[in-house]
Amino acid sequence: MTRLLPHLDPDFLSQFLTGMTVNFEIAAVALALGLALGLLLAWARVGGGAAGVAAASIIGLMRAAPTFVVMFFLLNAIPRNANLFGLPLAPSGMMAVAASLVPYSAAYVADAGVAAIRQLRAGSPLGALLFLPNVTRAFFVLVMSSGAGAAIGVNEAIAVLLRQAELMPTLGDRLILFAIGVAAFGIPLQTGFALIRALQRRLSRVMMRQQEETTP
Amino acid sequence: MSPRQIACALICLLAAALPARAQETPDAELRRVLDEARAACATTPAPDRLVRILCDGKIRIGVRDYYPLFATHENGTRQGFEVDVAHALSAKLGVEPDFTRVNAANRIVLVAEDRIDLTIATMGHNTQRDGQVRFIRPHYYQSETILVGPRALKVAGWADVRERTICATVGNGSNTDLVSHGARLMLFDEAGVLPEHLRSETCTLAAQDDSFFAAYFADPAFAAAYAPKFGFAQVPWGMAVARSGSDRLAHALDLISQIFHRDGVFLDLARRHKVVSAFLERQQGVWNRADCNTATGATNTACILPALDTELEATSFARPVAAFEKWVKGTLGVDLVLPMLKTAPAWSLFKTGVATSLLLIVGALSATLVFAMVLGAVQGSRSWVLHGAARALTVTLQSSPIVLTLVIASALSHALFPASAATAIGAAIVALGLTNGANAGQAIGEAMATLRAEPATRGLGEAALFSRALGRSGSQIVAFLVNAAKGTPTASFIGAPELLTALTDITSFSSGRITTYWLLLIFYILVVMAVVWFCDRLRLRLERSHAAA
Repeated sequence: MTRLLPHLDPDFLSQFLTGMTVNFEIAAVALALGLALGLLLAWARVGGGAAGVAAASIIGLMRAAPTFVVMFFLLNAIPRNANLFGLPLAPSGMMAVAASLVPYSAAYVADAGVAAIRQLRAGSPLGALLFLPNVTRAFFVLVMSSGAGAAIGVNEAIAVLLRQAELMPTLGDRLILFAIGVAAFGIPLQTGFALIRALQRRLSRVMMRQQEETTP
Repeated sequence: MSPRQIACALICLLAAALPARAQETPDAELRRVLDEARAACATTPAPDRLVRILCDGKIRIGVRDYYPLFATHENGTRQGFEVDVAHALSAKLGVEPDFTRVNAANRIVLVAEDRIDLTIATMGHNTQRDGQVRFIRPHYYQSETILVGPRALKVAGWADVRERTICATVGNGSNTDLVSHGARLMLFDEAGVLPEHLRSETCTLAAQDDSFFAAYFADPAFAAAYAPKFGFAQVPWGMAVARSGSDRLAHALDLISQIFHRDGVFLDLARRHKVVSAFLERQQGVWNRADCNTATGATNTACILPALDTELEATSFARPVAAFEKWVKGTLGVDLVLPMLKTAPAWSLFKTGVATSLLLIVGALSATLVFAMVLGAVQGSRSWVLHGAARALTVTLQSSPIVLTLVIASALSHALFPASAATAIGAAIVALGLTNGANAGQAIGEAMATLRAEPATRGLGEAALFSRALGRSGSQIVAFLVNAAKGTPTASFIGAPELLTALTDITSFSSGRITTYWLLLIFYILVVMAVVWFCDRLRLRLERSHAAA
């Protein structure tokens, strides 16, 4: 670490932290859009009929769309001057990453939403509440996936880390830097997962207690 | 005198005249050409452009409005190297320049439509343009593509660009050089955004014409932070006139261009405008040579530079492909462009891309399955040491974004093996397999733990328990197998020549970007759907074996 420090840009830490906020912003946008689209699809799918079949097909397609390819598709296949009702359609780099994550988040939310609606209909509102930890898990997966933005020049944490790594003289220094990056992403992720597990355990206990109380 | 004797006499006269003309100086030849044209002006108006220019006393010249150092137009004043070249050659012809604004899109059209006589507009001379305009030789400038990056970054040659991301512009001919040396391209529509992306650190390296960066390097702050790393893909720049009716004008301009090189006129103007002048210094030496400083020097291949050969070899099926594109356009009204099928380099990149993508998918699926079984068995073992080690590895892999895991795998593989496409593919397979295999392995380990707690499995051996755990965690294993297949395009980030890389490279030097990315998306969705189908079959088999057990 003492060897690494002289090569570190003095602004590295602040740039890296700013980059991480970009990762969280991307994940938040992707999840918000995914929630809107995913819940609509879940509602259509549970409703059955032609709309249900269409929703299931769309969810299947979205599950099969690789995020990285969708990101490049959004950046390159939409003409720069394209607009819809006067609003520009061509996304910025950051929006392209967020939008590329929407197929995953919407499909995930749709699956979790279908399960939640079925739990509700079965008379288990607590079971339906499992939707919340599932969505939280999706958020952390989205934060990790938003690192793909480095490939298209989005100034997120991985891009900052890789830029700094290019200036490191040895492989050992680069590996130490990468380890810092893994820890920086890992700590909030593992903390988040631990909270989800605790929430799920709590919900399960409450559900068990309710079942015991209602059982004659 | 018989006709035969007359012909013989004429041939002898011509033979005597030719070497004499070759030995004549360009100055004398220019005087002769201009005198002839002026004489024609005094007698009858002719369609010849040189005659018309001399008769009118003005020459219509197309120049650019905003190309710093070369041609700018601000507050009604035109400035720059090319503007001064236009003034100098107008003076040499004895006429006034009449400027017209041109840009990259119309500088050839305006000459061909006789709306201007001459274009001096940062135009590279390549073999494709040779069929559209007549270029003046010798060329008045030569640019090259330079790689610009932070001063602290050590990049000295092609060996240092492999697997680096380089920002470039779509349609730049030099992109093929970058691609062939293993660089990844980040493409932009306009060169104007590149310096800004360098400043914001979106781009670590940017490739563009040295004439474009010249203005930025004139800014001390930019020059202090960035430096040209090396140059490649030299392109001679040419003034151009129309191909018809401009023979005498072209000849006169050829001679003026020779004289300007020989006498250092171009060189002085370049220095005045702080334009890179190394090429002009070399050219001054060439045009002072006895064999070049003649009336026919502009046709002497030992003195002039060839046009840049930009013609790409066509595939054997390029014509039917073009006919199909035309049919789609005519029938469906859809602009379908298939560049990957029309030129040999693009077709080669495309085939390699498809094969590599399929290899990556098969490799990633196999690696995921192998790592899942190994890590699952270890995590399900009763040894706390093994269990703990596998758990630590899983947590670490879960905590690392896939892009970072790929970069780490790539860095380690390069420490062990020489950099190559095969190394990148191998590193990607290991990274994708480890990441997804660790997660699937965790599911297997957890299934083992729950099975051990069940009374029904008491007395079962480890192998039988493991087999049941596989069945119980079947849906999780399948989910991570599909995830591994979906993750394969990220391998492009570390230089694996898969389809995303191949198509990005193809669109960097050809048209049809929109169609290309549509095809890419459809290809990957179909492949992932096929993997989902295959994995579902696998899951059913696992669940059936679990139910049977």
